[in-house]
Amino acid sequence: MKKPKSNWKTTLFIIGALTPAMLVSLGLVVYPMINQVIRSFKDPKTGAFTFDNYIYLFTNKLSSNAIWYTVVVSVLTVLLSIGIAYLLAMYLRFSNSKISKTIGNLYLIPRFIPSLVAVYAMKTIIADSGLLNRISLHFNENSVFYNYKPGMLYNIKGILFMNCWFNIPFATMIIVAALAGISESVVESAQDVGAGKALIFFKIILPLSYKDVLIAATFVFMSNISSFTTPYLIGPNFPSMLGVYLRKQFGNSKYEIAAATSVVIFVLCSISAIVYLYTNMKEQAWEEN
Amino acid sequence: MDDTIKLSVINMTKLYSNGDGVKNVDLDVHTGELVTLLGPSGCGKTTILRTIGGFIDLTDGDITIDGKSIIALPPEKRPTSMVFQSYNLWPHMTVHDNLEFGLKLRKIPKEIREQKIAEGLSLVKMNGFEKKYPGQMSGGQQQRIAIARSLILEPEVLLLDEPFSALDAKIRMEMREELRKIQTDLNITVIFVTHDQEEAMMLSDRIVVMSKGHIEQQGTPRQIYDHPVSRFVAGFIGEMNFLDDGNGKQLAVRPEHIQVTKGKDGILTGTVRTVMMLGHYMEMTLDTDKGLVKVYINSDQADQFEKGDQVALNFDHTYSYNKE
Repeated sequence: MKKPKSNWKTTLFIIGALTPAMLVSLGLVVYPMINQVIRSFKDPKTGAFTFDNYIYLFTNKLSSNAIWYTVVVSVLTVLLSIGIAYLLAMYLRFSNSKISKTIGNLYLIPRFIPSLVAVYAMKTIIADSGLLNRISLHFNENSVFYNYKPGMLYNIKGILFMNCWFNIPFATMIIVAALAGISESVVESAQDVGAGKALIFFKIILPLSYKDVLIAATFVFMSNISSFTTPYLIGPNFPSMLGVYLRKQFGNSKYEIAAATSVVIFVLCSISAIVYLYTNMKEQAWEEN
Repeated sequence: MDDTIKLSVINMTKLYSNGDGVKNVDLDVHTGELVTLLGPSGCGKTTILRTIGGFIDLTDGDITIDGKSIIALPPEKRPTSMVFQSYNLWPHMTVHDNLEFGLKLRKIPKEIREQKIAEGLSLVKMNGFEKKYPGQMSGGQQQRIAIARSLILEPEVLLLDEPFSALDAKIRMEMREELRKIQTDLNITVIFVTHDQEEAMMLSDRIVVMSKGHIEQQGTPRQIYDHPVSRFVAGFIGEMNFLDDGNGKQLAVRPEHIQVTKGKDGILTGTVRTVMMLGHYMEMTLDTDKGLVKVYINSDQADQFEKGDQVALNFDHTYSYNKE
């Protein structure tokens, strides 16, 4: 297709159409971001330039723990939810059973439940005095199930469990779409020439879908780096996640530390954004036409 | 082609949960024979093919190759190879890797693999395409590679599931001719599924006409065309006029078996509705009191007839069927 000739009228129109969006993002995204970055390098009393806020963040026990804890939780969440989502997506894609169809209809429901509601609801189930515990009290006193305490609140288990609850549907949605793009005959012809299930997975399905899996992973990672609701409601006080830590700094009016924390969160997200952009832009030889 | 039976489908039944499927199908295919399963969509032809390939389990019956039952084997263990309608090739692998994949699985040494790949490519006239990806080739080229990929594995029976139906008319014609040539040169046993009667006529040693899950008729293209055993086959293969005969019967006559003359001296009379030039012959439609009748006449007769002319029809050869 030939590129349409652009004259000054179309150029003006394009600029005119883009201006409102540009202004909004400049005012609401770029300006506050720059503002925060500048603030994170300021001394709270004198306003002079300093690295102290960052030095504090990385040396103070509370904050440095918050940073690594956040990274660990996010990485584990990615591994768990992507792993489970991949298996689930494969099941949904390659099974025609009634169970598969039912799950296919239901799996997105968690996406429609407000996170606050979901966390509180889950709390009533997994708390040590919650639903599971109440049910276990009906077992015989000598039974191993009697007075079962899940022990999942206010520690990493609870956060990971809840994160999976939120992220598996999302990741599954993306991976199912990727797997749907692999046609039946591509799989069947591999089977036909003699490939077993494992080989079909590693040689055909994985290479044809890993890009979308990676994209799902970056999204999950980014949303968990800065998550607040789940760690605030069911996470531990120490180590806390960065979102919770950030709020505390605000509460204590330590705006410069809070700004530096925001920048750290932003940098962590950027890493994953770079992975996302890189995977998206790197066209493999077979995708070029 | 010789007399030994390569593949037998014995009293095969496959029923789907909705009641569709095929029932009590018997079919023998000889070594080096090209058999076409022909029928409208939903007639069960693909079901039979996919059952032979191992992609569908049969409900009852048996399938043997060289006398040995293969129904317990999964697709990857069967001595068959299948070419699908489209999207056959693995899009992330080059042509070379597509061809090599199956050979590697058979633990064939590297030199022999390369040799076979080269042979396969020259068989389908695709030398020099080793480094291309499927997305960089046309549909016809992709199907050639798919056929080569199957052929180099030297299957006992090659299964083709409407492999050319997604291609445009000219390429489709070329591919048929080439397939037929390769098949006779290598003396391979082929089962070809199609809904295109012209394709079946061109390619086959034998055509198996199917309808609603059973075999209506099988025979050489000539036999099927000249002696259709049922109203269905008569209507499905070639052009046929059906005329009500009264008493529940239908008279069937092919357009080339009708003699048209001017006037009223014939079994049937009518008026010319359209005259169409189709190269070396003409197609004429006539309005008769038994409905529209299609007739082929030689081009040199064309000047004799005009729209609205009164004509008389005589039949050289007719068939009679029970009304459906």
